[in-house]
Amino acid sequence: MTDHDQTLNAPRIGNVPKSAVRGKPKRATAFANGWRRWWPFYVMMAPGLAFFLVLHYLPIWEARIAFEQVRIVPPNIWVGLKHFYVLFASPVFWQVLANTLIISAMKMAFFLPVPILVALLINEVRGGRLRKFIQSAIYLPHFLSWVVIAGVFIAALSPTDGAVNNLMGMAGIAPRSFMTDTGAIRWVLVFTEIWRSAGWDSLLYLAAIIAIDQQLYDAAEIDGANRWQKIWHVTLPGIVPTIATLFILNAGMFLNADLNQVINFSNDVVRSKIDIVDTYVYRIGLQTGEYSLATAAGLFKAVLGTMMIVTAHFVSKRLTGKGVW
Amino acid sequence: MLRRVFLMTSTALALSLAVAVPAMAEPVKIRIVSKDFGPTNPDDVKHVKRIEDALRAQGTDLDIELVDLPSSGYADKLSVMLLSGDIPDLIYFQGGDAKMVEQGVLEDLTPMIAESKHVKDALWPHNVERLKNYPYLLYVYPVRGPQPVIRKDWLEKTGLKAPETVEDYVTLFKAIKDGDLDGNGKADTYGVTTADNTNELDSIFNQAFGITGSWMKNAAGEWVHARITSQEKDKIAFYASLREQGLYDPEYITTKFDVKEDKFYTGKAGVIFGSSGEVIDIYGGKMRQVHPGTELVLLSPPKGPAGQGLSAVDVSKESRGFAISTTSKHEAEVMKLLDFMASPEGQMMDRLGFEGQEFTKEGDSYKVTDKISTWYARFMVAANWQPPVVWQSQAAQQSLSTIQKYFKPDNSFVWPGDYAADLDATENVYRAWVYKFISGEAKMDQWDQYVAEWEAAGGKRLNEHARTVLDAAK
Repeated sequence: MTDHDQTLNAPRIGNVPKSAVRGKPKRATAFANGWRRWWPFYVMMAPGLAFFLVLHYLPIWEARIAFEQVRIVPPNIWVGLKHFYVLFASPVFWQVLANTLIISAMKMAFFLPVPILVALLINEVRGGRLRKFIQSAIYLPHFLSWVVIAGVFIAALSPTDGAVNNLMGMAGIAPRSFMTDTGAIRWVLVFTEIWRSAGWDSLLYLAAIIAIDQQLYDAAEIDGANRWQKIWHVTLPGIVPTIATLFILNAGMFLNADLNQVINFSNDVVRSKIDIVDTYVYRIGLQTGEYSLATAAGLFKAVLGTMMIVTAHFVSKRLTGKGVW
Repeated sequence: MLRRVFLMTSTALALSLAVAVPAMAEPVKIRIVSKDFGPTNPDDVKHVKRIEDALRAQGTDLDIELVDLPSSGYADKLSVMLLSGDIPDLIYFQGGDAKMVEQGVLEDLTPMIAESKHVKDALWPHNVERLKNYPYLLYVYPVRGPQPVIRKDWLEKTGLKAPETVEDYVTLFKAIKDGDLDGNGKADTYGVTTADNTNELDSIFNQAFGITGSWMKNAAGEWVHARITSQEKDKIAFYASLREQGLYDPEYITTKFDVKEDKFYTGKAGVIFGSSGEVIDIYGGKMRQVHPGTELVLLSPPKGPAGQGLSAVDVSKESRGFAISTTSKHEAEVMKLLDFMASPEGQMMDRLGFEGQEFTKEGDSYKVTDKISTWYARFMVAANWQPPVVWQSQAAQQSLSTIQKYFKPDNSFVWPGDYAADLDATENVYRAWVYKFISGEAKMDQWDQYVAEWEAAGGKRLNEHARTVLDAAK
């Protein structure tokens, strides 16, 4: 074994051979060493950190207006839990919370597997050009705004001259007004979410698949595994950590049923079925000026989201041995 | 010698400073936030500059700063801006003003208008009524209300006269549907379409079916919301019959304003509604881009079993308009600005644009250029000032005279904040049931079921409160 091989095989801390770390350095010295060595990476990370600090962490402090009566001309008046009492006493809030939970659960159940499936299918496409074309085509909807998507789907689902009803007509199925059907509208939301985001979300899984060691596939080949068996026994287990991580992160976003999507797909007939916490917060907060009440609703949603992410983490840890921390 | 020169110079400098300082006094800075009126539009900047110059010539030295607030989602963005504590002197609201009034942030304009030289005479009749009820918003523009238009060549092709009765309207819609006026070989044109809901149809059919206002007396002589009356039931049944005959677009509920226009231009609908003369002219302009030479004809509200006219106009408050903040230290100067804009000189600037750009002048004769179609008044359209040249189409001008002819104040009023949830819930119930009736999903004999649901959603409370208000107003 050469010196070079020894260095490569030496136990490492990060990218630094363990042997390079002598003794137990003082914390300040370790920080200084770390900074000197990795500062370009820290600098590259800084904008991202600043983004989260300014737009996600600092606003948490302003959530205190959920416990205050906001005055346009300060000071605000401390009212404790008053807005939460008002919120929980309102039947409308429980209705929108129920809508949010139902729509989010539907999206979780029916959306989550689709990008995984798409990634697996793309990975099986052998032709380079065809693969690139499919990838580009399915990423494209991600860059369209909900306004455009709603316009496209409202036209496509039109009961008089929409493409979907025309196809149904050819199959002898009676036309249906999906956009005004209270039983169908939540499925329209789920389907359009899949149409828009499945291709884009499959990127992460595809990256995870590509990172799987080729030797595992070679070994499976030698063992006589067919294509399906390789997917089932090599590819899927290889991307379980990614699936677990994304599942947990999605659990945190569980109550984000997508304000923009709902606003654009809503109409007078189906509003009661798809009015969600976010649209409620938007309506009450920005349109009627009840900022404190709206913040209370938003805060309640955020606390539920946090509880879900923690629960999902422990469940995942227990089932797959993987979590987010 | 040197000492004397120094003394003389110092004295001269001190004297000149004493004279110059008052003359160089800083102009009063006022901040304005308004929609489609910002510092990124060169025309707006030029407009502000000439207003400042004109006011300075009158002895009012203002430095007007326009706040840059995007037009898209203006009301929401304004709301956030005010919440952050940034409160300009003059604020244009498009909703959200009631909360500000509750907190005492907006001035009562009554005394300022009373003392004004021009604003008080520039008001339209509905402005006067609205200011009596809610003296915080000033919106000096003609009353807006949807009115129907049709292509002139299409009306001529049908061989019919402009409709005068409800039956005439049905006949016209049938002629549009069956006449294949767009020449595509199919009877696939709807007589009429509307955007989002039936509000636009209501504007011409409410009076015809006897819906005289938001609140009406029932058989027992009690005030009830018009939406649960027998007159409303008859009107909805009429709409349902239009839909059933294929005359009213069944997809009105998912039709947004841009789609509504598109259906008109592409021949999928024969009649649509424009909310003002300006809007009707925009429709006309766009129609000519697709079908050159086409003119639009304005249709009058029909005579019906119970009357004729346009919907009663809500005079409880302005739904939009300018407000002066109580935190402003320059209320008097802001009012001077508004007063100037209401004056003939201000109106000339605000409504006609720039000479050489939007209009030309030869002697006493004015001519507008093509650019006038993109110019709009930033502050007000005074009722007592007529521009020296008319550029609006006949249909647009007629819409203004029609709306004035049929102006009738509604008996609606401003609701206390406690009723917000009831208003929201009853509105949803009404809209959903109207669609069910029109689409045929619900039969008209389910009317009582709708009324019961409406009352349970908060309508009963609304009726009770309305009785206290309307009976007290007697």
